[in-house]
Amino acid sequence: MSQERTSAILEADPPAFPLAQALLLFAPISLLCNAVGSLLQYPEIGSAVLFPPYAALTAALLVSAPRNWIWFILADAVALLVTSWPRWDLSWVLLADVANVARALTAVLLLRWLLKGPPRLDSVRALVLFVISAVLIAPAVGATLGAANVVLHGASATYWHPWSTWFMSNALTGLTILPAFILAVGSGARWRRRRVSRQRVVEVLLLAGALGVTTAVAFLLPSAGRWHPALLLYAPLPVLIWVALRFGPGGASLALTAVTFAAIWGADRGTGPFLAASPDGNVLLLQLFVLLTTLPVLCIAAVSSARRSVAHLHHALLASLQDHVAILDSRGIVLGVNASWRRRADTSKVALFHRTRVGDDYVGACRTGAEQGDTTAARVLAGITSVLGRDHRRFEMEYEDSCDGRREWYALGVDALERSGGGAIVTLANITARRQALIEIEEQRYQLSHLARVAALGQLSGALAHELNQPLASICSNAEAARHLLKRQPADLGEVDAILRDIVSQDQRAAQVIRRLRALLKRGETRLQTVDMTELVNEALELAHGELIARAITATAVVPPEVPPVSGDRVQLQQVLLNLILNACEAMDSTAPPDRRLCLVVASDARNNVQLSIRDCGTGIPPALIDRLFEPFVTTKPEGLGLGLSISRTIVAAHGGRMWAENNAGGGATVHCLLASVPAGSERAPFSSSAVDDRALALSRLAERTPSFPCQ
Amino acid sequence: MSRETGTAARRIAVAVVDDEEVIRVSLCRLCEALGLSPTAYASGQEFIESLDQGVPRPDCLLLDAHMPHMTGLELQQHLVGRGVRLSIVVYSADDAPEARARFFAAGVAEYLRKPAGSDELLGAIQRAMAATASGPQNPQLQTSPRPTVT
Repeated sequence: MSQERTSAILEADPPAFPLAQALLLFAPISLLCNAVGSLLQYPEIGSAVLFPPYAALTAALLVSAPRNWIWFILADAVALLVTSWPRWDLSWVLLADVANVARALTAVLLLRWLLKGPPRLDSVRALVLFVISAVLIAPAVGATLGAANVVLHGASATYWHPWSTWFMSNALTGLTILPAFILAVGSGARWRRRRVSRQRVVEVLLLAGALGVTTAVAFLLPSAGRWHPALLLYAPLPVLIWVALRFGPGGASLALTAVTFAAIWGADRGTGPFLAASPDGNVLLLQLFVLLTTLPVLCIAAVSSARRSVAHLHHALLASLQDHVAILDSRGIVLGVNASWRRRADTSKVALFHRTRVGDDYVGACRTGAEQGDTTAARVLAGITSVLGRDHRRFEMEYEDSCDGRREWYALGVDALERSGGGAIVTLANITARRQALIEIEEQRYQLSHLARVAALGQLSGALAHELNQPLASICSNAEAARHLLKRQPADLGEVDAILRDIVSQDQRAAQVIRRLRALLKRGETRLQTVDMTELVNEALELAHGELIARAITATAVVPPEVPPVSGDRVQLQQVLLNLILNACEAMDSTAPPDRRLCLVVASDARNNVQLSIRDCGTGIPPALIDRLFEPFVTTKPEGLGLGLSISRTIVAAHGGRMWAENNAGGGATVHCLLASVPAGSERAPFSSSAVDDRALALSRLAERTPSFPCQ
Repeated sequence: MSRETGTAARRIAVAVVDDEEVIRVSLCRLCEALGLSPTAYASGQEFIESLDQGVPRPDCLLLDAHMPHMTGLELQQHLVGRGVRLSIVVYSADDAPEARARFFAAGVAEYLRKPAGSDELLGAIQRAMAATASGPQNPQLQTSPRPTVT
């Protein structure tokens, strides 16, 4: 063992009591233990049936700091001297004490090293390590030294006999009294603070009574020895198992100690079953009996304690969950719920099936709800039935609930229980906050796109003024002309009629421009509708008409009649198109006017995906920017903010599509915009990311096709 | 669309150059109603071609500032380059001072903001013709034979 390891083991845990107090407590206990040990000694070899001082010293050393060990060792030596001298001479006492100290130190160091903390017996592993250290190795070390002492003083002719009696008595001590001492010292501090329930006290009293009666029957009744002793030996066993199951290793070792003392007392009084052979043989029988009883009982105690602690952990875990959790059996009966579920079930405002408690029929409650017209209950019922029927391993749904007048969102998950009996776990989480955040993000995205739209229209303001002024100018001239015509005699009423018709049509044209502007400027709900691509392209080109004229740009649009309509928000798609047209216009600023050509091509594939491509004859996109073009604040324009394309791409992505750009072989750039097809009659969330994922493959296939450009 | 030329009493001949039909039609109607004699052209090129074909020069040119292919300013510069001196009224919805300044610098006499009433139109035509009659405002412009003004 390395130096650090040793020191770590020695300083494993702080003492439970201050030294003086501990010594004051230890001295009388040690004296008592040594006195009992001395009483139980074989007169000729100085070894006992049971040797309590081993347990007292080991427990004291386990809970105290190594620097204080010397005091306990000295106190124990004094107690041994007091109880043994002058019956035994001083050299015998000294050597016996060396054996005792070596045994205790072996046990303490091994336990500290193996268990890495305060000794526990609440798991099978801890119990096995404890038995190896304190019941096998330490007693063997003690027996080796103790037997040598006995042989040295001529008390025994053979080495084996004192060794085996030393070993057996210490092993027995280690298995019965030592756990009781360790657990008593270890839990002493806790017990002082813990409130013990009345049921627990009653149970302890009942158990003590039962143990007393059964032990008396087995070991103390004078008649016991003569009648079927083999059967009577089992009498305390049910009580011991009961103690082990209910009170764990501590209770079990206390009860075992009591039984051991009773058995010894009975043997000493000449009652009980251990009377058949010689005194040595009786002792060995007794020791074997106690050993064989103790081991399984302690095992049961350890297993039940471990199970209890696991159950406690699970319970604590469930209780700590904010989510509402219920466990169902295969029929849908509630087996258990956590605290959060219970609290929710106590409020009367929740749906019937969420008011179920342990023992209630959850599936039945869902069915009742569904029959009363609760659609949520019907969905939950369908999901739970499929999981309980093992058709699905998991079912999840989100639903809206009006609880206390507030609209709240919940996510309900049902997971199949992977066990032979089947069943399911229902988890209900309040996701209102998450949902709210998503809505807010969506709202912000919408505001941003609206701002971008307003900015784009600002950019177009001159051209738009032209668009409005044309009909106004025509109306004005026509009206003035009509006024003059009406003054003539005779008035040319036919011409006036033609004029008035023109006025009406021009007025409608102006109104149309205003309607489109209003649609783009106003902030409305995002609306999914069927958008005809020809209309979309024509409207965008009409809005940009003035700008195209002012920049001397010739625009061509090719929309084949077979192109299907897309599903989307018309205004947002219009915004994307307008943004792309304006970008293309600006890209051609340094192009000679006759070469300023803008080409819009719409194509579709067999899966009804629609691709819109806008080609310009401008300066093209710098290669360094081509991959980052759609990132915010990336722009090729000196005054550009770099938000237009990034917002356009967000809009297209929200429609389940994607955008990319490339430079043309013959100069200029083309921006492609792919809009996913929507199967007829399908319901699609307009802005869910999954819609994008689903269509990624189909989209990339279409993207590989280069659309033909008739305007090249 | 009226393409009559002056009959008994000599009417002022006006050429309307505008790419948009509705504007051409309505302006010609108004000119007609005001007793002028309008001719419409859909583009600058069309007007230049008519000059090339020997169509008599109008007394006044009503010119749209914004046209594809050949803007009002380009047509004006073309005419100056050919030594053709005409009374020109440019009209536009763009009321920005810079736009006006560009046309005035190029020798345009009148700048009319759309939409304009009949009095404004007539006034502008008369002022433009008067300005041309009173002599060159721009020394670069050469004097050329002009029709008489009533």
